[in-house]
Amino acid sequence: MNAVLLPILPPLIAALAVLMLRRWPPALALAGATLSLTGSLWLLARVAGGQTETLLMPGLPDMPLRLVGVPLTALLAVAVATVGTFVLIHAVGYMKRESGQARFYAVMSLFLAAMQSLVLAGDWILLLAAWELIGLCSYLLIGFWFQRPEAANAATRAFLYTRSADLGLYVAIFMLIGSAGTSEIAASLEGGGSASIAVGLLLLLAAMGKSAQVPLQDWLMRAMAGPTPVSALLHSATLVAAGAILLIRSAPLLASEALFAIGLVGGITTVAAGVVALAERDLKRLLAASTASQYGLMLIALGAGVPLAALLHLLAHAAIKSSLFLAAGDFQHARGDTAFDRLKGVGRARPWAFAGFALAALALAGIPPLSGFFSKDAVIAAALSAQGAVWLAPLALAGTLLTGAYMARALRLLWQGSGDTRPVAGSVWMRVGIWGLVVPAAGLGLAFAPIKAALDPSAPEAVGTGAIMLGLFAAIGGLALGWLVPAQRLLGPVYRWAESGLVVAGGLTAWIGRPAMAVARGGERLEQRLYLAVLGFGRANLAVAHWVRVWGERGIDGLIFALVAAVRALGARARTLQSGLIHHSLAISAVATAVILVILFLASISF
Amino acid sequence: MLPLVSLTLFLPLVGAVLILCLPKPTARTVHGIAIATAALTLVSALAVWLQGVSGAGFSQVEELQWMPAIGAAYRVGVDGISLPLVLLSAVLFLVALIYASSLRDRPRAYVALILLLETTAIGTFTALDGILFYVFFEVSLVSMYFMIAGWGHEDRQRAALMFFIYTLLGSLPLLLAILGLYLGSPDPTFDMRAWIANPPLQGAAAMWALIAMLITFAVKIPAIPVHTWLPAAHVQAPTVGSVILAGIMLKFGTYGLVRFALQMTPDAFREAGVVVLIFGVVSAIYGAFAALAQTDLKRLVAYTSVNHMGYVIVGVAVAALTLDPTIRATALDGAVLQMFSHGLVTGALFLLVGMIQERAHTREMGEFGGLLKTVPLLGWSFVLAAFASLGLPGLAHFPAEFQIFLATLGTAPVAVVVILGIAIIAGTFLKALRETFLGETQERWSKMPDLSARELCALAPLLVLTVATGVAPSWVLDIIHRTTSALVL
Repeated sequence: MNAVLLPILPPLIAALAVLMLRRWPPALALAGATLSLTGSLWLLARVAGGQTETLLMPGLPDMPLRLVGVPLTALLAVAVATVGTFVLIHAVGYMKRESGQARFYAVMSLFLAAMQSLVLAGDWILLLAAWELIGLCSYLLIGFWFQRPEAANAATRAFLYTRSADLGLYVAIFMLIGSAGTSEIAASLEGGGSASIAVGLLLLLAAMGKSAQVPLQDWLMRAMAGPTPVSALLHSATLVAAGAILLIRSAPLLASEALFAIGLVGGITTVAAGVVALAERDLKRLLAASTASQYGLMLIALGAGVPLAALLHLLAHAAIKSSLFLAAGDFQHARGDTAFDRLKGVGRARPWAFAGFALAALALAGIPPLSGFFSKDAVIAAALSAQGAVWLAPLALAGTLLTGAYMARALRLLWQGSGDTRPVAGSVWMRVGIWGLVVPAAGLGLAFAPIKAALDPSAPEAVGTGAIMLGLFAAIGGLALGWLVPAQRLLGPVYRWAESGLVVAGGLTAWIGRPAMAVARGGERLEQRLYLAVLGFGRANLAVAHWVRVWGERGIDGLIFALVAAVRALGARARTLQSGLIHHSLAISAVATAVILVILFLASISF
Repeated sequence: MLPLVSLTLFLPLVGAVLILCLPKPTARTVHGIAIATAALTLVSALAVWLQGVSGAGFSQVEELQWMPAIGAAYRVGVDGISLPLVLLSAVLFLVALIYASSLRDRPRAYVALILLLETTAIGTFTALDGILFYVFFEVSLVSMYFMIAGWGHEDRQRAALMFFIYTLLGSLPLLLAILGLYLGSPDPTFDMRAWIANPPLQGAAAMWALIAMLITFAVKIPAIPVHTWLPAAHVQAPTVGSVILAGIMLKFGTYGLVRFALQMTPDAFREAGVVVLIFGVVSAIYGAFAALAQTDLKRLVAYTSVNHMGYVIVGVAVAALTLDPTIRATALDGAVLQMFSHGLVTGALFLLVGMIQERAHTREMGEFGGLLKTVPLLGWSFVLAAFASLGLPGLAHFPAEFQIFLATLGTAPVAVVVILGIAIIAGTFLKALRETFLGETQERWSKMPDLSARELCALAPLLVLTVATGVAPSWVLDIIHRTTSALVL
């Protein structure tokens, strides 16, 4: 079997097995994820030297589906499988008391399989398919507790936001296939920056939807209505990551205008979402806003033309954010909620989870020698070296400062005060899950040098002491501010607005949702009018039919009689049915057809 | 060798005659014979499928003298455009009869009508003679009329009449066009193969013939603004009637659009292609918005049909407009596959809505909530069918719509706005799912029974084929592509 299939097949088989057997769901799902991890590592080992593993599968005519294993895709597969495995381990504990286990583990496994297909996709159609399938899986997972209205709404919103933005990906792919004449991604990339600005902007639109960039960010915060392991998976290496992964993989074909737009969107998002995170009153929502903010940093790096920095931050963030969420899940079980009011002092009651959380938080803030320090350093260096450094660098630094501030604030709120802690079932599973990810969150920096070497040895390195000092200063400054100064004081007048999620004039619901519904209702009114118009037309014909019949009785020939019958039949629509009418008009149309046939017959023998 | 196409075509008719000849059969016997007949028809259709099609022209042609003096004959055969629709008909009629097998109200007449309808449907898709095509095309109306009028809901007679007259008047122009093609032929014949090989009409005559055909097919498809019969008929039609109407009979229009309008008046179609394209785009987007506004599940599904058929029109128009044979093949592959997929998915959706209505006696979304908890099998089937309908990859509509849109962008880039439809339809179905199946379970539905074995048997083939077509579309596309790639216009 081709090594490219190894990361994908095990979770897919696990999903099907769980659905069919309906037994041992956690065990099957875990086995699938673990095998996927093994397979990804095996694939990475095989392709690390630079060779490529390719697999062609039947797809559309002349457009086969294609999987490729190259260092980049294999590395991403490893990240996905690692996070997936530990999240599932955590879920064994977290979901212990839930019903619907088969559904949960089947969809989680399917999600992993879809995400692995996305990162390993070698053609645009498979990428698009996987892209949409992870949207479906997140719909099902966010809406896991579908009987809760907020979960049902959040799932609906998440799918709608991302689907709408996906139109960008559809059109971009049509343009790319149209210009390259093939659906192979590598062929599109070889064009090298030749693709139009439009393609870049369309890809950005798709990425904004998935990676929750301003103004498409608010579905992500609401998605917190799902189970916490789901959030951990969505926010780190899968759904949200797909947007950045798309841009990283298509980086060679992005025009400079598109890069500018990407940097701008990322810059705005990292600051705006950072401010929202700082004002949040709920731990999970804070982490969600933080995700959008961190992806904003990755987009800054992409906009600066250094996709490698974005990739490093993506990897570091995947480990960090998943461990933060998993720890939050532990706290959630201990207190029955994730609002900060209820989480006071939970850190003291759950020291293992809190230690993991704190380590990951420091990593995210960018404290050496943790992984986030190196990745954030790469992002800042990229921003400083970019053409638009004047505005990219301040935005990146502001994002870094805010990261420190909201993480320190979260740590303080979790550590200070006290509350009632409940005993937590399945604690051991959760602890293993958390620490399995905290370790890479802390130590991943060690792997960055070999990763760089494997991916692109010739990539320009823009690391200078300036970037390091600036980044460190922002991180420590942010941490200090967040720990010492309450968010309300820190944000001042912006606080209230930030609390509501920085919604501008009602947000997308007001800008797109309501107008769309208004158009739909307008269409429905038009439908009623059309229906009545057709009825009116029928009535008018009834009058004509009556008039013509009066004439017809005075002896107009048979051909016109057929016409009358047809007109009368039309008019009859307005009446209620009288039995016999249909047979009557049918008979006439049959006679008329017969007459025409006879004429034809005569015509043909006379030729 | 067996005349497989004719066998597939007339088996249902034989079954219908048999049922009508039996003296006082029980309902059980009637349904048993009907299902057995439809199953045999499916086997026969599968045999035709296995024989396959060759590249250009028609395969498995069977011919008999009929009216030699006027050049009309019994001619049937299949190609990559009609064969998937024949298979679809055989599948859909079988599941429709399985679903209908619980009917005790005049079952004999009902299943006889369904079987008659099956013959006319397969006849419409396989006929290679203008007169034969027209006869099947028209007779199908009669059966559907009686089905709606006899077994429909409250306001059924008016809806049946509207349906009948709308489409009957709509088909008169087609008759004129057929006569025009006949008279225009150098050697007068009703052989459709001759009309396709050497389009008999040129210039203004061709344009008039095209316009006449477009009117007929636009009513049948239905396209904006002659679609108003569709929601009216669907709302009143019995479930099986809706399944066949949307699953098969709408395809008469799109099939005619390809077989007649595109293949027999290609130059005129190329000239008028932009107009047709605009109608397609408007139909698709308007249908999507109209669906979004619905609160009645059945009307909602009916309007999504307008949307999906709009994509087919777009695909055919693009095939007419483009000069690149590769793009033309892609567009037609998409259009034909879309017809096939729509039959499966919409058939399943109408069955599911019917099942809900049978249990709750209402179809208003607002009256439900949380049904996924009470009737999980029904609920998850609906989720699957809804996501298929909104074009999720891995399910039947995605490969079809992808190819249509891809070809559209390559030919008429502006028309790609039609893709907005897939976001609106997503909103439509998510709203329907949210209100009907998610949320808190209402007390009064808590005793609702889940799918019975009969319902499961009717639904499962459609859902399985929906997944199969989505995951590995090549099993259908190979057949379609063999013809579309050899098509010369």
